[in-house]
Amino acid sequence: MKQLIELEINGRIYEIPVSPKDLLVDVIRKKVGLTGTKKGCGQGDCGACTVLIDGEPVLSCITLAIACQGKKITTIEGLVAEDGTLHPIQQSFVDHGAVQCGFCTPGMILTSKALLDKNPQPTETEIKRGIAGNICRCTGYKRIVEAISAAGDTISSGGVK
Amino acid sequence: MYLNDFAYFAPKTSGEALNLAGRLGNKAKILAGGTDLLIMMKEKMLKPECLININDVKEFKGISYIPGKGAVIGAAAKISEIEHSALIKEKYFALHQAAGELGSVQVRTMATIGGNSCHASPAAETPPPLAALGASVIISSTAGEKELPVEKFILGNRKTALGEGEILTKFILPEPAPKSASRYAYIGLRDAMEIDAVNMAVNLVLEDDNRTIKDIKLVMGSVSPVPLVSAEIPGILVGRELNSELLEKAAQAASGEAKPINDIRASAEYRREMVAVLTRRVLQQAFNAASGLKEA
Amino acid sequence: MGNPNFTQVGRSVPRIDGPLKVKGEAIYTDDMVLPRMAYGKIKRSPYAHAIIKKIDYSKALALPGVLAVITGEDAPNKWGIVPQTANEVALAVGKVRFHNEGVAAVAAIDEETAEAAIDLIEVEYEPLPVLLDPYESIQRANEVKIHDDAPENILHVGDQLFGDPDKAFAECTYVLEKEFHTSYVNHAFLEPHTALASYDVQSGKLQLWSSTQVPHYLHRQLSIVMEMPMNKIRVTLPAIGGGFGGKGEASPADFCAALLSRKTGRPVKVTYERSEVFATNKGRHPCHIKMKIGLDKDGYIQAVDFDNTLDGGAYAGWGIVVMFYTASMIHLPYKVPNARARVRRVYTNKPTCGAMRGLGGVQPRYAMECMLDEMAEMMGISPYELKMKNAVESGYRSVSNLHVPHTEYKKCLQTAVEKSGYLEKHGKLPFGKGIGLAGGYYISGTAYTLYQAYKPHTTVLIRVDTEGGVTVHCAAADIGQGCNTVMAQMAAEALGIRYEDVHVVSGDTELGTFDLGSFASRLTYASGAAIKEAAAEINQKLKEVAAGMVGCRADQLEIKDGRFYSIFEPRKNIEWEKVVDVYTNTVGTLVGTGHFSPPRLKGIDLTRGKRVQGANIGHSPTFGFSCQIWEVDVDLETGKIRVERVTEAGDCGQAVNPMSVDGQVEGSIMFAMGQALYEEMKMDAQGKMINASLHDYKVPTAMELPEINTTIVDSYDPTAPFGVKESGEGPVQPTIPAITNAIYDAIGVRFTDLPITPEKVLQALREKKAR
Repeated sequence: MKQLIELEINGRIYEIPVSPKDLLVDVIRKKVGLTGTKKGCGQGDCGACTVLIDGEPVLSCITLAIACQGKKITTIEGLVAEDGTLHPIQQSFVDHGAVQCGFCTPGMILTSKALLDKNPQPTETEIKRGIAGNICRCTGYKRIVEAISAAGDTISSGGVK
Repeated sequence: MYLNDFAYFAPKTSGEALNLAGRLGNKAKILAGGTDLLIMMKEKMLKPECLININDVKEFKGISYIPGKGAVIGAAAKISEIEHSALIKEKYFALHQAAGELGSVQVRTMATIGGNSCHASPAAETPPPLAALGASVIISSTAGEKELPVEKFILGNRKTALGEGEILTKFILPEPAPKSASRYAYIGLRDAMEIDAVNMAVNLVLEDDNRTIKDIKLVMGSVSPVPLVSAEIPGILVGRELNSELLEKAAQAASGEAKPINDIRASAEYRREMVAVLTRRVLQQAFNAASGLKEA
Repeated sequence: MGNPNFTQVGRSVPRIDGPLKVKGEAIYTDDMVLPRMAYGKIKRSPYAHAIIKKIDYSKALALPGVLAVITGEDAPNKWGIVPQTANEVALAVGKVRFHNEGVAAVAAIDEETAEAAIDLIEVEYEPLPVLLDPYESIQRANEVKIHDDAPENILHVGDQLFGDPDKAFAECTYVLEKEFHTSYVNHAFLEPHTALASYDVQSGKLQLWSSTQVPHYLHRQLSIVMEMPMNKIRVTLPAIGGGFGGKGEASPADFCAALLSRKTGRPVKVTYERSEVFATNKGRHPCHIKMKIGLDKDGYIQAVDFDNTLDGGAYAGWGIVVMFYTASMIHLPYKVPNARARVRRVYTNKPTCGAMRGLGGVQPRYAMECMLDEMAEMMGISPYELKMKNAVESGYRSVSNLHVPHTEYKKCLQTAVEKSGYLEKHGKLPFGKGIGLAGGYYISGTAYTLYQAYKPHTTVLIRVDTEGGVTVHCAAADIGQGCNTVMAQMAAEALGIRYEDVHVVSGDTELGTFDLGSFASRLTYASGAAIKEAAAEINQKLKEVAAGMVGCRADQLEIKDGRFYSIFEPRKNIEWEKVVDVYTNTVGTLVGTGHFSPPRLKGIDLTRGKRVQGANIGHSPTFGFSCQIWEVDVDLETGKIRVERVTEAGDCGQAVNPMSVDGQVEGSIMFAMGQALYEEMKMDAQGKMINASLHDYKVPTAMELPEINTTIVDSYDPTAPFGVKESGEGPVQPTIPAITNAIYDAIGVRFTDLPITPEKVLQALREKKAR
């Protein structure tokens, strides 16, 4: 028997019927219909399913939806501004050629946001360590690291969060 | 990859959690970080009837410290909390290092120090430093509390001393002795998201003369079903000054004590060799740190 | 850089689909939901080789929520990317030939029910002996046959002879013969195979959305397996999460989704788990190579002898093409006057190997670049000197009739050497540190239609009118490499307008015109040629109208920056949109069509009088080249290799989008580094893959990223549309040998098998010490 839970996703409260065993990634993708969060492996190895929970990056494919009540969940859809303007990190990824097939991108951007929120001007090593849990097979990471570094500079100087 | 149906509980207090554990016994599994449990459930290796989510129980979380007494770490404390704790970095450096090496940012955000020990994978990162630092675990149940040294808690590959209805709730770390230092090292193919082929931690205490070794505990991981405390190294090093000859002797001794296996990550022979390499490195690093010499 | 007159080609514009992807709004196949959609799952064999005695799916069918079950018998028609060797089926028929081969499929109202239903299907197997090594396959072929029509367990052999290598070897001053063994690796794209099929009962039409690189081949294979005419089938590509060759054929997901959809009369979606991606594989062929190279006293290559046993896995797939590619790849980027190639592609009971980025080139490149590095040492000269000496130049024609109209390979070598300080470092760094050089190349613009039709490989339709602006229609596949952006840039350049004003409609066999697919690094060249032709048609028609509007002759107009200008009186000019308006009002919608076919070339083996076309390579109109120099630091105690720096210089002709080119190069470097140092599909004695997860199949993470410096060498191929050449697969070629040569420079050991793990390094150091 499913129970009705409330999940706060991108600042909005959703009432969703779930079984305890339902994984957060499936609830987000199929019940709430936000398909920006991707499933690359289902085993917590690739990072494509990364979402932010209370600002921290978490693997939604190995997180129970029911355990997320009362927390603030941020998916990639929550980053764009109300008027459709890209978040500086998103813009930086586009400008730096850090997006190719795009499948790792949502998870990568959210992990980057968590990193920059804590450490607005990380070193290259800190960036690499920060995104080590997000696999990318297309870009070779170089442009992603550059994009994150540039975004950090933009955010620090512009004061945008 | 779907999980089996289970009853879900999210107790808010320690009492509630222990009551549930007592009532449900072996029908229940504890959900902390879930980074091991949920994967095993997805692969149908485990099909618990009940899950008890302990992430809301305040008593199981947090890091506290009383000068002179030591530290208490809640079993449900996140690895990332331990990684970023200034206290742990200052006083229990090997644990700080191990926490920082575990998985990735996401995994460290989710995983707990209790889970790392309870899952009891021979390659787990935090048991060796915990054991080296003389940590013990508190096992709680409705019947009360028991304290065990970490190395007596982990009994084998995926086997612990947890009995039915019991929950690992705290780690107790003794106050570090003066002139002591701990270090951790590991071998892995990649520099992230690795299951270590070998890891180890050492805690080294010097005499007031800053040269003679007063006490030493070296614990190896991934080369035996449980964290392997070196029995020979104290005999080789205590009461002596560290020199290259002793360093080599210690390395060979640890290597000889290791009981590695061949698996998809590495061969037994390589692991054995790496035990020697890592032993030399952590001993030298710990010695330098304890004596105030520049870090190697 | 390149052609300075270009205004749209050569711009590092951000990708058209960048914003969609960073917002998470790009739709991939698994993101799609259709009304009444059901979910499909495949039941897979626990045996690597077994006869299927019985399948009983009655219990599965009885499970509430299960809509249909199919087995191999429901679609026994063989399919295969190479029609002459097609021996694959949607689901196993009669026997299974690799662990996790699909034997049945279920459609259910949700994924969980489908998964539960799979467990209820009962299959009775009679296990057969398992062959996991190509030599064993050949040796035991009398007792164990994987395919009845392959009596020696060999798919095909190749035997090519050019000139007189034996005579040449006898006269060589330096001769080296070595064996190399490459590894069993997988593409590990992030998006698992996914297919969503919707069969419409009333019209009998099937639409398939799929994560594929080859809409056309998929379209064709569906027609064969479903026994439906192609014009009743439509293949549409949503966003694709990477392919690298692994989605360069159809997959059982495609067929099962289609079959189940037809059977249930509902849309059916099949999404693979990661373990299923590994089981499907179609990754790089492990090769067992014996190579012999002979140099004369001055260091010029006189002969190459190449023998290659390819471990192909259970089915044919791309196998025969890969096999012939490896044979052909020895003829460049150096002048080889005499050559022999004997190759064979063998069946084993493992997930099938296929096309993987740089197919057929990576393995022989590894051997050749390492051997030349060693032979330079034999001669006492720098590997750089040896390679420069032998490097081909523009206009070169190989003995196998490969024609290189244009190359800047020497410039690539020079540039990489200069920028890395190779000559100052090579042989001079402290023990444990090393620098290594390797070169490489790849085909560009080729690939014949594997079913040997001679129709154009790419057709582009450009539609121009007031309402739609400019739309480029082509059923090409953007798999993340950015071809949509590049096509828009080339179209804009050809039409004299801005890239931002061009819309590209791609990846749909109904909306777009025919394209062979995204593989063999063909798309920029092929679509570029077709776009030029289509644009020429449009320009001609528009010029006729513009001429009337400005008052000059049509053939005295040029189109630049969105305006028509009289060449002789530039003050006579008019906006492009205005001309289109008038054309649309007076004539109607303007459509230009362009086609591209690679030239037909055949090499002739003069000795045997046999025609050898070098597989698809023979038709390659041009080639891209590059050089990579890797610097490594070896931990002498643990054997761990840390890559410090990579310096690359590449000749991709005119770079259409330099930022995209850099992205391809950087991605290729990390991709190939994975194979060199970390990746390997490991099988147990029963043929089961024991590391079928991204946890234990170790692709490089950001922590493995070294310093990477790339250079797009100034180049322009005058025979190519817009001067373009490839940059998607060439850059993987030099990586593995460059790393291997760097490790030799560091510790004096030459590794001839992959991956080069810390254990192997330590073992080699130990053996070296013992000698």
